Amino acid sequence: MSAESASAIQRSQVDLMDFIDWSGVECLNQSTSHSVANALKQGYREDDGLNLESDADEQLLIYIPFLQVIKLHSIVIKGPEEEGPKTVKLFSNKEHMGFSNVNDFPASDTVVLSPDHLKGKPVVLKYVKFQNVRSLTIFIEDNQSDSEITRVQKIGLCGTTVETTDMKGLKKIEDGH
Amino acid sequence: MVLEATMICIDNSEWMRNGDYAPSRFQAQADAVNLICGAKTQSNPENTVGVLTMAGKGVRVLVTPTSDLGKILACMHGLQIGGEMNLAAGIQVAQLALKHRQNKKQQQRIIVFAGSAVKHEKKTLEMIGRKLKKNSVALDIIDFGEEDEAKSEKLEALLAAVNNNDTSHIVHVPAGPSALSDVLISTPIFTGDGEGGSGFAAAAAAAAAGGVSGFDFGVDPNLDPELALALRVSMEEERARQEAAAKKAAEDSSKQEKGGEEQSSSQDATMTERASAVTSEAENKSIDFMDDDNALLQQALAMSMDEPASGHEMRDADMSEAVVDDPELALALQLSVQEGEKDSASDKDMSKLLADQSFVSSILASLPGVDPNDPSVRDLLASMQNQSEPEQKKNEENKPPNEEK
Repeated sequence: MSAESASAIQRSQVDLMDFIDWSGVECLNQSTSHSVANALKQGYREDDGLNLESDADEQLLIYIPFLQVIKLHSIVIKGPEEEGPKTVKLFSNKEHMGFSNVNDFPASDTVVLSPDHLKGKPVVLKYVKFQNVRSLTIFIEDNQSDSEITRVQKIGLCGTTVETTDMKGLKKIEDGH
Repeated sequence: MVLEATMICIDNSEWMRNGDYAPSRFQAQADAVNLICGAKTQSNPENTVGVLTMAGKGVRVLVTPTSDLGKILACMHGLQIGGEMNLAAGIQVAQLALKHRQNKKQQQRIIVFAGSAVKHEKKTLEMIGRKLKKNSVALDIIDFGEEDEAKSEKLEALLAAVNNNDTSHIVHVPAGPSALSDVLISTPIFTGDGEGGSGFAAAAAAAAAGGVSGFDFGVDPNLDPELALALRVSMEEERARQEAAAKKAAEDSSKQEKGGEEQSSSQDATMTERASAVTSEAENKSIDFMDDDNALLQQALAMSMDEPASGHEMRDADMSEAVVDDPELALALQLSVQEGEKDSASDKDMSKLLADQSFVSSILASLPGVDPNDPSVRDLLASMQNQSEPEQKKNEENKPPNEEK
């Protein structure tokens, strides 16, 4: 089973970082000096010194819209052993959620992270639930040691794209050729 | 220009009947609310503002966030004062109202008027503050009315819990002569987190503070650049005039002539008017002496050349008296003299002639029945001159108009 999932990861899965619509990325309860870019962006996320940190309490709510429709296969969450996330709920295609209504909907998938995962092992998700994802909401409910602050070093998303038109890429065809 | 949805929490408890803020605490609040709504809507037309009351029978939302100013102003009417303020409930309901705003892209902000004493525990308020921060809601607290240490302490704690990167503020307004709204205008609540003072805020400050204006002429250059420019130019002209006038007055204080003040001053006035009216023409046409088409203009030119300089000495004397009588008139006179002097300076041919004529013309002008425009008078003047070239030119000038007549 794990061998299969490992090969599934290798088969034509791409890092979906290129398809994130950065203008719409939001994170609630993040600390200003340690923002979500530290966990998502190329370069920042490889640096283990740069973390995404929570502010008022240990929960985090990250909203990631995509430039086109994707299928999400697996997710990688790296964090410190103590303050790394434990329970993570993923919601597909739910916009502008808040902490108050986060428990009103059933999550598309719920992941409980072990210290192994926090070292960088990808977590395979219920692929069938993530076939048609326009936006992803990641709700980090608590952390490993129940401390006040949750730290995340890296969030990586793996999957494939669905053939969709990128409206920004549309160019006007010049007449007379 | 931040896109924002704001909920304003009004305190309409019994404590608001107090008159220590003119005319009453409640009225001061209402004025402030109106100003805030205007400022928010002006800084960004897509901003929305909502209002709720915290006291009375319970927390009541009067209007949900809307950009319609009329609706907001209308709901401020007929508000009853009574009950006790419930700060915690008020803030929580405000947060709920913001959560259901139509445009999710708007930033969330709550403005609280904390007039009466705060009966909640500090801990409760801190928890509320943290919840607001978690949901990225900014909070502005206006601490006025009842003053006691516990209240200030609690409100400061609330602010500390909410504050994220200085987006939240607290303002303490003690009772005093200035109105609540005036004090608020200068605070970051109005100026939008250090954007440098929106145009509305500055204009409102100019209007409300009555003379204490951020802009020179009470006109915001952003709102009306042409008007501001015109005002500035005329101010500078007036200033230049006044400086010249001051110089003149200093010079002429020695030349006092005390005869026929009123007559001469009236004559001066008429001549001044003509001179000033014609001055611009004179400047333009100073070259066209021999142009028959412009005979009338030459006449006018001659007049303007004559009068400002001819009335020179007499006018100087009269002006010093006019200064006493009517400063504005004096300024006008001096301006025309100055310009007349410029004219004569520019026209070197005429200067000698003018010097000769000055004495004669001054006498003539001072006589009530004599009109210097009369051709016969001017012929007389011409005939009295020396036989130099400029005068000949002048004769030629005078002759064509005479011939035409």
